[in-house]
Amino acid sequence: MPFRWIEHTGELEVELEADSEQGLFEAGFDAICDLVSGDGTPERIEVPVELTGSDRALLMADWLGELAFLAETRGLVPERLESFELDEDRVRALVQGSAGYPAHLVKAVTYHRLSFERADGGWRARVVLDV
Amino acid sequence: MSELRRVGEVEWELPATGPMHVPGRVFADAELLEALGGDGSLDQLRNVATLPGVVDAVLAMPDVHQGYGFPVGGVAATELPDGVVSPGGVGFDINCGVRLLAAPFAFDELGDRREALVHEISRTVPAGTGRGSGLELGRAQLERVLVDGPRALEGIGTPVDVELTESAGRLDGADPRAVSERARQRGSDQLGTLGSGNHFLEVQRVDRVHDRAAAEAQGLAEGQVTILIHSGSRGLGHQVCTDFVKRFQGALDRYGIRVVDRQLACAPASSEEGRSYLAAMAAAANFAWANRQLIAHRVRQAIARVLGEEAAAGTRQVYDVAHNVAKIERYGGLELCVHRKGATRAFPPGSREIPERYRDVGQPVFIPGSMGTASYVLAGRAGAMERSFGTVCHGAGRRLSRTAARKRVKGGDLRRQLEEQGISVRSPSNRGLAEEAPFAYKEVDKVVEVVERAGLAVRVARLRPVGVVKG
Repeated sequence: MPFRWIEHTGELEVELEADSEQGLFEAGFDAICDLVSGDGTPERIEVPVELTGSDRALLMADWLGELAFLAETRGLVPERLESFELDEDRVRALVQGSAGYPAHLVKAVTYHRLSFERADGGWRARVVLDV
Repeated sequence: MSELRRVGEVEWELPATGPMHVPGRVFADAELLEALGGDGSLDQLRNVATLPGVVDAVLAMPDVHQGYGFPVGGVAATELPDGVVSPGGVGFDINCGVRLLAAPFAFDELGDRREALVHEISRTVPAGTGRGSGLELGRAQLERVLVDGPRALEGIGTPVDVELTESAGRLDGADPRAVSERARQRGSDQLGTLGSGNHFLEVQRVDRVHDRAAAEAQGLAEGQVTILIHSGSRGLGHQVCTDFVKRFQGALDRYGIRVVDRQLACAPASSEEGRSYLAAMAAAANFAWANRQLIAHRVRQAIARVLGEEAAAGTRQVYDVAHNVAKIERYGGLELCVHRKGATRAFPPGSREIPERYRDVGQPVFIPGSMGTASYVLAGRAGAMERSFGTVCHGAGRRLSRTAARKRVKGGDLRRQLEEQGISVRSPSNRGLAEEAPFAYKEVDKVVEVVERAGLAVRVARLRPVGVVKG
């Protein structure tokens, strides 16, 4: 698994690991899928996402926050990334899923202990979610 | 816990060391301190003590537990005009709070209609993820709610409901222009909804009165049915906090502020950024009071359908308290910005800030327990003004993580256990139910006992759940 839920008394904390920076963003997507996967419907949704920011950790928070926003406002139960591009200061993605009832509401992605760094020859990030 | 120094029967000092500007003050007994189990909440309290302009001490209430930035159950006051305001010190769920309604009938009179009442409330009050309210606010309507709170909801609730709400249901200075389009989008169809996570609505029975005079002033008597509503500003408030935590990252350099945790991003309360946040936070707080007003209205509608119009009309609001908010208050001649993150204002008898009908007995405070345990009604006492910026706890406080709770019980099994205890349960999610299992929380009796022993508030009544609607 590219992500691991860590014990946190009040909220949910996730650790992401990947070989590349882009892989970390994709691992973040997998973690949100794991969290909000719920009852989908036959109605398919495809949502383009574009985010900018030069700080990788903040960009990761924005990315996960956008997925939580789509779950809340459009009932998006995310399933797969049709495409994903990461460059120096931009994320471009096409998110696919179904319109349904996400199982968990993510109030917000916090900056508490937020990290995005090289580790053990790969990359590691940590994010605390307010749920 | 060796770093703590005992300074009172249930009061401990965390000495100011390193970059801390003030010490920490922890209200707990030995057992509650033990329950913290090194969960990181005291480290978070230390971090809060580094905020510019913080005065006296940063506080941990008896229900304190690990949060993000501030611990949950944390209080910090900064001196105006140059002290900072930190959105993380309020939290994402701005004006998350509790409203208590008192029904005009006893539990014994409810009899076999209990199940029907809980069921009807669950049908009438939207709860859980993906549940809009069925009430889409237009732009102008939403702006009125942001400025005026429940007053903007014509025909919803009564003027007495508004009067019996903290700050009369409206924080001054709310400015809808400070609330982003994204926040409006999240909130536009959520008014009158519980949300998910730890939000809930309980039908209860007053099973013990501790302070007869205060209970009488609050209209509570043993055996009476009460309804407790726990919700906040929903996605609108979450987005306001998200927007400003991000915006404040850029303000830190401008004001020469270094924070030890990015979630503690802050700006002087008097700065453009600080004023803008306070205006948006006030708007979100007003939205939250309107949210609980509409939920209460829907509860009365459910009561009317099950028990008749007279029962609904006689269901009175006791009070409504905020437990995630920053407010400008005066202590010892200083004007302070008091951040309460999972902590409740608890003003004593005589305070002009509380409704006249409670002025002789102190401000009502509601401390929800967990499903299956008691909740408490308290009344503020003078000790709170002396030692805790007029503040007490906000709940039992989590003891176990959500993951740990889910490992110990399945939602379906918990539902059966609660039903066997005579508690009807309605929850859209078994997973969510398991995460909020009673054993995941500290003992609420112990928490309020510490509050009372510290002289911050007194127990007025204990409420036992007979029905739970989970978000």
